[in-house]
Amino acid sequence: MFDWTTMGIVFALLGAVLAALMGGIGSAIGVGMTGQAAAGVVTEDPSQFGKVLILQLLPGTQGIYGLLIGFVTLTQIGVLGGSSDISLAKGLLYLAACLPMAIVGMVSAKWQAKAAVSSISLVAKRPDQFGKSMIFPAMVETYAVLALLISILAITSIGSIQV
Amino acid sequence: MAVVEMKRIHVYALKNNRKKILEMLQRRAVVEVDTPEEASLGEAKGPFSKTDTASARLTFEKNVQLIGSAVETLDSYAPPQKSMLAMLEGRTGVNAHQVQQTAEAAPEVAKIAANIVALGKRVNDQQAEIARLEAQLEALKPWMGLDISMRTVGTNSTSVFIGTFPEELTAGEIKTRLAAALPDVPGVEAEVVSTQPQQTCAFIVCLGRVGSKVEAALRGMGFTYPAAPSKKPPAQRAEDLQARIAAAQKDIEDAGREIASYAGRRQELLFTSDYYSMRANKYQVLGDLWQSPHVFYLTGYVAAPRAPALQRELEEKYQAFVEVETPAEGEELPIQLQNGFFAAPVEGVIEGYSLPGKHEVDPSKVMCVFYYVLFGMMLSDAAYGFLISLCTGIVLLKFKNIEESLRKTMRMFFFCGLSTMFWGVLFGSYFGDAIDVVANTFFGANIHVQPLWFAPLEQPMRLMLFSFLLGIIHLFAGLAMQIYQLCRRGKYLDALYDSGFWYMLVGGLIIALVSLDMFQEMMGLSLAIPPIVTTIALVFAAIGAVGIVATSGRESRGVKRFLKGLYGLYGVSSWLSDILSYSRLLALGLATGVIAQVFNMLGTMAGGGPVGVALFIVVFLIGHVLNLLINLLGAYVHTNRLQYVEFFGKFYEGGGRKFEPFAAKTKYFKITEE
Repeated sequence: MFDWTTMGIVFALLGAVLAALMGGIGSAIGVGMTGQAAAGVVTEDPSQFGKVLILQLLPGTQGIYGLLIGFVTLTQIGVLGGSSDISLAKGLLYLAACLPMAIVGMVSAKWQAKAAVSSISLVAKRPDQFGKSMIFPAMVETYAVLALLISILAITSIGSIQV
Repeated sequence: MAVVEMKRIHVYALKNNRKKILEMLQRRAVVEVDTPEEASLGEAKGPFSKTDTASARLTFEKNVQLIGSAVETLDSYAPPQKSMLAMLEGRTGVNAHQVQQTAEAAPEVAKIAANIVALGKRVNDQQAEIARLEAQLEALKPWMGLDISMRTVGTNSTSVFIGTFPEELTAGEIKTRLAAALPDVPGVEAEVVSTQPQQTCAFIVCLGRVGSKVEAALRGMGFTYPAAPSKKPPAQRAEDLQARIAAAQKDIEDAGREIASYAGRRQELLFTSDYYSMRANKYQVLGDLWQSPHVFYLTGYVAAPRAPALQRELEEKYQAFVEVETPAEGEELPIQLQNGFFAAPVEGVIEGYSLPGKHEVDPSKVMCVFYYVLFGMMLSDAAYGFLISLCTGIVLLKFKNIEESLRKTMRMFFFCGLSTMFWGVLFGSYFGDAIDVVANTFFGANIHVQPLWFAPLEQPMRLMLFSFLLGIIHLFAGLAMQIYQLCRRGKYLDALYDSGFWYMLVGGLIIALVSLDMFQEMMGLSLAIPPIVTTIALVFAAIGAVGIVATSGRESRGVKRFLKGLYGLYGVSSWLSDILSYSRLLALGLATGVIAQVFNMLGTMAGGGPVGVALFIVVFLIGHVLNLLINLLGAYVHTNRLQYVEFFGKFYEGGGRKFEPFAAKTKYFKITEE
């Protein structure tokens, strides 16, 4: 007999996995795009390697945030040792809490990568403008940071809710 | 807050001192030459005119290029020994005496450079020749079995055809086909020299009188003559080609050896290259000067503290007439920043944005404190901070000659590292939770390192509130800078309208918000704010709001002014997003700690045995290096962002031009005073 009430841990794990998964996918796409642009610049001017490398790595943080959320969720739901007795409602709560990071992480990584690619071409043409070029992609990241914030606040507080 | 004060200097001197004066100025590097345009001089020009030095400059620049490519060639034959840390060592200093020696040797060194370049070209030419010869050799290969000249056309009574068919044929097949095409021609002999797929090299002989008929028949079979038949028998020809290739190779080796023999003069070449770029700089300035038959006039900017000494030296040593004056109000002055040990490192960050514009102050001194604090909070691991400070500290101590800009960056990261250590201790993070994990897994001890303040992962709300608080302080500091800037220009009312009201509004709203029960409950705070304080805060907020509505549109009139005022009040939403933006302090701080924990946990997967120790060491090293680098980057980028967008947004626009004195812009060596 299938028992819905035992499914809490499944949903909770699904949330953790989604955060790491989608953040990772977004960052992989993003860092790939910026890497191509960066390699193009280095063929023309190898001395720009340091600068374009920094710009390449900018969309990489969403994957890390995703990992962070995934890891914190795993520790909270007891998959990494401890009690993994999660009610269905709690499991769904964890899933919902992970979604901001998962979705915003994936989308913002891709768009941040587009901004970073433009910034890389900016640095190729005007290496002295590196300071400013870094800011445009960092603007996009703000929203990944906000999503991370909401996800982490939610995940760390769910434990004390009685449902 | 030190934007160095600039003075305008006018130098009038006799032309026979011109060389000495220019060289002195170039060595000192304190004057930015700024010559008035012809139009602005007008009638005052008198007998003065400019000299065209473009061609001389071009010659020097060409020499610089020539030596550059010579050194490149030289390096490919005799690679210089460069250590990994060469970048940190900075340029070697050379004194005036050595410059003089180089000047004398320069033409000879330029000749060496030309010779190296010519040798390099010879090598390239010979390599092309070898490729050509090898292609010929390749084409000859199918004919190696032929022992007569490929150009043989026959004897007195025979005709000979040497060529190829576009298919694989045997001698018998050729003969059969010829016989079928020419049934009445006897005595045709065919011999196959070599066959390959789709090509048969053949030798055909027949009687001379039927030669033309046979040739026509052969053509009908697709017979063609070789493109480049050799006069000598192919084997002999091949030997010749081999010999020529060997000769070319020997020539390449000789040239290579000759190039390598110049390896000892690499320094001299680089030095001469610098010497020529120095002269090119000088001639550029020379072309900018106004000169009469006996006198020249140089004008430009000089940092005020350096002006008196320079004036004295020019007057006493070079009999020049010097005037130093305060620049006119409207002049666009070049900007030079000067700060102390603690604040100077962030000058580079400011330069990355933009140097202070007119009427703006140098924000370094205020910014550096926030920069170090925010950076440390984002990285927030005591061990990482220690590593950063250790590495940069060693570099700073060991490489005294390091380039100035790099030294500043190093010092900036040194302070950032110290701050990171500080926050790491407060939050109890040393390589994440490495101490707990090691103690637990390998020694079975249950140690828990207590944070000095609190653990962010356990109380994220608390850290978030603290981040916002830091953000508010940071933003208010920016607003204070705005007030300072406006007051310095005597615009006291603007200071009140644009900053004072915002202080009241935002400050009042924050206090009112904090005193709400709901907010306190949500954040787990228990501050007892007396109701009277809340009321006062609300009154202040109201005054601020009314003030902003009344004054934001003060350039306009009537309804438009009111609407603009309302729009000004809408700016409160940007304050909200600015403050929220500081939540990245929490996010990045947690990211460092959590990823460190992940790696520590991965390291302990194999348990506590010897294998476990080995695995732990490997994972620990790789993982923490990776984590440090990624989060170092994140902390750097986001600290800059908080400074550029949130902090500078409150008061700073930039747009200043960098002070670029007339100096020896050398690449490899540093010209020193003595």
